[in-house]
Amino acid sequence: MIDLVHFQILSISLFCIGVYGFMARKSAIMVLLSIELMLNAVNINLIGFAAFSDFAESTRALGQVLVIFVITIAAGELALAIAIILRLYRNTKSINIDELDSLKG
Amino acid sequence: MQLSTDITTFIWLIPLCCFVAFGLSIVGRYFTEKIHFICVVAVFSACFLSFLVLYQFILSDMSVVTISIDWIAIGSFTITWGILVDSLSVIMIGFVTFVSLLVQIYSLGYMLNDPRISWFFSVISLFTAAMLVLVLSDNLIFMYFAWEVVGLGSYLLIGFYYDSEAASRAAKKAFITTRIGDVGLLIGIMLIFKSTGTFNISSIIDLAQNGAVSESIMTCSSLLIFFGAMGKSAQFPLHVWLPDAMEGPTPASALIHAATMVAAGVYLVARMHPFFDLAPLALPVVFAVGLTTFLVGGSIALVMTDIKRALAYSTMSHLGLMMLSLGAGPWVVAILHLVVHGLSKSLLFLCAGNVMHSTGNRTDCWSLGGLRKNMKITASAFTIGALSLAGIIPLAGFFTKEEILISLTEIQGLWPIILMIVLAGVFVSALYITRLTLITFYGEPRSDNAARSQESPWIMTIPLIILSALIVIFGLILIPLPFVDGYRGLGHFIDPKYKVHFVPWLSFISILVAFLGLLLGWLFYGNNALSHTKMVGRVAPLYDLIIRKYKIDELYQWVIDHAILAFGRLIALFDRVILNDALVNGSGKSVVLSSLRMKWLQTGRFYNYGMAMVIGVVLSAAVWWLA
Repeated sequence: MIDLVHFQILSISLFCIGVYGFMARKSAIMVLLSIELMLNAVNINLIGFAAFSDFAESTRALGQVLVIFVITIAAGELALAIAIILRLYRNTKSINIDELDSLKG
Repeated sequence: MQLSTDITTFIWLIPLCCFVAFGLSIVGRYFTEKIHFICVVAVFSACFLSFLVLYQFILSDMSVVTISIDWIAIGSFTITWGILVDSLSVIMIGFVTFVSLLVQIYSLGYMLNDPRISWFFSVISLFTAAMLVLVLSDNLIFMYFAWEVVGLGSYLLIGFYYDSEAASRAAKKAFITTRIGDVGLLIGIMLIFKSTGTFNISSIIDLAQNGAVSESIMTCSSLLIFFGAMGKSAQFPLHVWLPDAMEGPTPASALIHAATMVAAGVYLVARMHPFFDLAPLALPVVFAVGLTTFLVGGSIALVMTDIKRALAYSTMSHLGLMMLSLGAGPWVVAILHLVVHGLSKSLLFLCAGNVMHSTGNRTDCWSLGGLRKNMKITASAFTIGALSLAGIIPLAGFFTKEEILISLTEIQGLWPIILMIVLAGVFVSALYITRLTLITFYGEPRSDNAARSQESPWIMTIPLIILSALIVIFGLILIPLPFVDGYRGLGHFIDPKYKVHFVPWLSFISILVAFLGLLLGWLFYGNNALSHTKMVGRVAPLYDLIIRKYKIDELYQWVIDHAILAFGRLIALFDRVILNDALVNGSGKSVVLSSLRMKWLQTGRFYNYGMAMVIGVVLSAAVWWLA
């Protein structure tokens, strides 16, 4: 029997992997993927809570609707982020975030 | 003859003419070189209109006409563009436009070869227009605006030769000195407004006469107004700008000394005279200042060798005489003397202009001499002006001087002493003008320039002839004529309460004094029976003091250097150290310093930012969970 706690374990594992990737990876694409991982961890969390909530049958789908919104916006965000990375690459011939430190004080 | 329309309703056209001419010639000088004729035409029409108004006033016994349009309305309170036409302002506009017309005709010749002739005429038009507004306005605030524009006009005219250091200094001096007076005037006007609630001159006088204004306010405000008049009318100790104003073109000096600038102060005091009369301390102060100016100016005029400077100090002295008579009582006398003195002084200045014109701008009278041989018209005109200034019967100057002396006998108590002092001033007056005339025009030429001088063209001599003729016959207008019914003198026309007096013994004494002055001048400078150099040697310390103008300029310079500039330096120090260094630069520096300290936070490492975010989230979650 899959319980709410399983959803949460999966979600938190994904999130932690995301955070690790976010901080440890050097490639901008990998960082982006890690952010997507965190985002989807949250999505799983949302769906889990929606499914196991005490809400009435008719309002239980709200969590899923929210997740679809998040996926849509994440797609837009991803397109923007990839465009930025593309520009970065065109300008600096690199997407290694360690080398991109022109904001260093 | 009955004029078909009431001309006084169009009186606002008179200043407007000159003002429009100013505007047109300012723009028009970029299109044609002959634009300045428009100014002459405008002032001619203004003069013509003024004489029409004057004519109608004399014929129809009109007393007061007021025209006004609302200018600023604040609730129930309004400031108006108001015109007050009474016999005083009618006389003044006739006088101002007439002198301005003659000066402008003269300038057509005098300024002929100046490349900036049209600018000169523009400014003269503005100057005249402002003066006309000043004498016509019925409220103090409107008058104050005109007053300031007159100051501006004098600044522009004195600084006409702006490329000369002396001229621009003189212009600044005139402007700043009169501004000092103007501040007093403005405060005085505000004080009056605060206690009466109106700017309208006749209402103010009405209210004051009905006791609506307290005595202390009246004394304060009339003294402050008089302070403004002192600046404009070059009264001691604010007289320092007048002699330096010589740096402007000579026709401009003729205008400033006769009709426009210096007349403003005397006019203002005469206009507010009922108000001054009610204030207990005001008129004695006016009298004392006038007397001091009369003597100081006269004594300096006695030693000046520059023709224009000597004339300037003589103007100052006679302005003192006008103020003195305002202080002594009947203001009409002061206005009469203003007109008469204005006519003679503009004549003298225009003659001085001719002298400069024909001798290559020489003004030192000791380098001239014998000019009468070649410049007969100028020399005789100057002589007539000089005699009128000295107060020789039957020229116009005699009558007004006489009236002033008579008004002095009506002072309570001390009048014999005051009369003697003023008679001494009259004597000095005759002496210095004789000296100036004899040295400049008589004797033998003392330089090549003087020997080779020639008479100026007719356009520069005709105004002299007109003015001299007027000075000769003007005395007749001043006294009641036996063959004109009901005419009781110009003074009576201006103020019906005023009567022309005649005191035989006083006339005798004053004529005697004036002739003594003439005689002494002739002995010194005419036939050299007495040596003026020995005389100077005998009173050397006094002579030194006078020729250095009582060191008043030095005193002012000292005060400016040691008090005003020192105070300025203190303020500058405050500005530099506290405002600039501490506040403006200090706040900038503190931002720079703090950013230098904090810039290590910006590592440029992506994962540092990520770590900061994670720590931030964990911390805020912990805070939320614990709290």
